[in-house]
Amino acid sequence: MIINRLEFLARADLDGRTLDAWIEEEWLLPSRPEDELAFSEADLARARLIRDLTDRLGVNAEGVGVALHLLDQIHGLRRAMAEVLATIHRQSHRSD
Amino acid sequence: MQDPYEILGVARAATQDEIRKAYHRLAKKLHPDLNPGDKSSENRFKEVASAYDLLSDDEKRRRFDSGEIDASGAEAPREKYYRDYAGANGQAYESRSGYADFADTDDFLAEIFRRQARRARGSDLHYSLGVDFLDAVNGATKRITLPEGGSLDVTITAGLQQGQVLRLRGKGAPSPGDGEAGDALVEISIHPHPFFTRHGDNIHLDLPVTFAEAVLGAEIKTPTPDGPVILTAPKGSNSGTVLRLKGKGVPRVGGRGDLMVKLKIMAPTEPDSELEAFLTAWAPTNYQPRRDMLS
Repeated sequence: MIINRLEFLARADLDGRTLDAWIEEEWLLPSRPEDELAFSEADLARARLIRDLTDRLGVNAEGVGVALHLLDQIHGLRRAMAEVLATIHRQSHRSD
Repeated sequence: MQDPYEILGVARAATQDEIRKAYHRLAKKLHPDLNPGDKSSENRFKEVASAYDLLSDDEKRRRFDSGEIDASGAEAPREKYYRDYAGANGQAYESRSGYADFADTDDFLAEIFRRQARRARGSDLHYSLGVDFLDAVNGATKRITLPEGGSLDVTITAGLQQGQVLRLRGKGAPSPGDGEAGDALVEISIHPHPFFTRHGDNIHLDLPVTFAEAVLGAEIKTPTPDGPVILTAPKGSNSGTVLRLKGKGVPRVGGRGDLMVKLKIMAPTEPDSELEAFLTAWAPTNYQPRRDMLS
């Protein structure tokens, strides 16, 4: 499901300038087929997370960058760990 | 629901500032996206959020303190958290910098990650393509020029529907490793035609005819999606008479729909004294088209 810029602004409850700033900071990485920004549901959930960080948790702009960077590493680690576990399971089945 | 003061861990006499600080401290600990592996954090986060919602509003807090409302002021349910997407394949944001050092030094891990990178699929790319009505009915090949250079040939199969999404295997972004490329997803929008309209597998056409063709019957050259054919309008046809041209509609599995031709009598647009003279003299007794409306 692709979300265009207008729909994204409405659903994330954002103004255009804030969105541009977030993309500039690379907090959001929408894809760009045909000159136009295309967002995914994951981008939308990520925008809501950024809003939570700034509006509800009192994190300032520098803090958001740090938090996202660490979160992206955690998700990378979680995937790596899942992959390692899956490999170990496969190997222990083979040796049974 | 529990007492909101207890949930936030503040005294009943707490100031707004203390309440806000308590909320921030708990929310930072409990936000589901900051606890990707802990499913229980979501419920506790919701409790904390609605406790804060209640106590941060002076009016609501006063009414709660005086017993006018209870603590069940529910937090609007959140559709999905970011963590629900982050695990999905091909997350653009994910970073491997948290374990790159292990992978570089440990052969066992390095092998697993090499395999993972090899298998990782490229991401899907989305495009939209406008197609002429007749191309969608008859089929065609269209070329999309890609923003990043190059082009993509899209085969429009006959009978394509408005809004259909074509998946072109392996035409998306390449894999970051040796995995397969993603797919290109092309959403089709069909331009309207000046006189054909589509209704399922059938195509409708309003066909203007003359008085003489309707009254006397005629062989009329009629446009169809695959070229003109001769349509026989029977004697005594009228505006609104629908004639079916079998198999001249939209291709479908095992055949084609039909072309439904609706006749529309067109009076001459230029004044014609001969016709006027004839109609003035012509007075049939039984010609009352509005009889049913007015009786």
